[in-house]
Amino acid sequence: MPADPLHILIAAMVSWVNFVTIDVFFKLPERGGVSGATEIGRHIEEGGGALHGGYMMGNIVSSPDASAGTLLASCGVYAAGIPGGLFAALLVYVGNRICYDPGYAGTTGCITATFIVYGFTLIGFSAAEFIVGMVIAILTIQGISHVHSSRLLSTLWRWRQG
Amino acid sequence: MNWPDIALALCGIIALYAAVRVVLEKDTMRKLPFLNVVSFAISGSIILLIPHPLAIVAAAAYFVGSTLESNAIASKYAGGPKNE
Repeated sequence: MPADPLHILIAAMVSWVNFVTIDVFFKLPERGGVSGATEIGRHIEEGGGALHGGYMMGNIVSSPDASAGTLLASCGVYAAGIPGGLFAALLVYVGNRICYDPGYAGTTGCITATFIVYGFTLIGFSAAEFIVGMVIAILTIQGISHVHSSRLLSTLWRWRQG
Repeated sequence: MNWPDIALALCGIIALYAAVRVVLEKDTMRKLPFLNVVSFAISGSIILLIPHPLAIVAAAAYFVGSTLESNAIASKYAGGPKNE
């Protein structure tokens, strides 16, 4: 398949919307799920960021959430189609329990991402584009500016609270 | 170049960039989100290099393992587990 940077850009945006929507819906920015996540949130706030966005970033670091679910679902669909994506959801569920996370954001994100990625493969996208798209999506949240991304996530959290 | 090659190259570049940010960041707690990006990029690379159903297990095991390590480091700096 010829290279098309537009596909990666679209895949990154779809992955970003999928994981941020599910994480905010499952109230990840509300508080740190484990003491380590709370500590990361506090340090991001000390560095000039926003506390609730920091909590969500701490939660993403501390347990497989919807972002990990989206990545592993793309990996699963790439290697084995829909059954691969659902198998990845099972692995994310086990990973959540290993990391003492009582939530279902990771598993839910993995299942929704499986069907989204599979749907896009039907219209000419490759699951490999979603793998790298998700890596770019997480880079924008965790890897460029913690101050700005935590403020953005806090703004989304305020909307969620109404 | 076809898609898996370009995707793999991008994952590698992002992993290297995030690794440099881990080294440059002074605050240990704020290193962890960058380390998280490295984990994402490496897990993606594993499956792009080995497109086999069992490679999903390898990628998930690597990802969950690195997440658990970050969890443990952060928890240690927070003064140990309180409610977990």
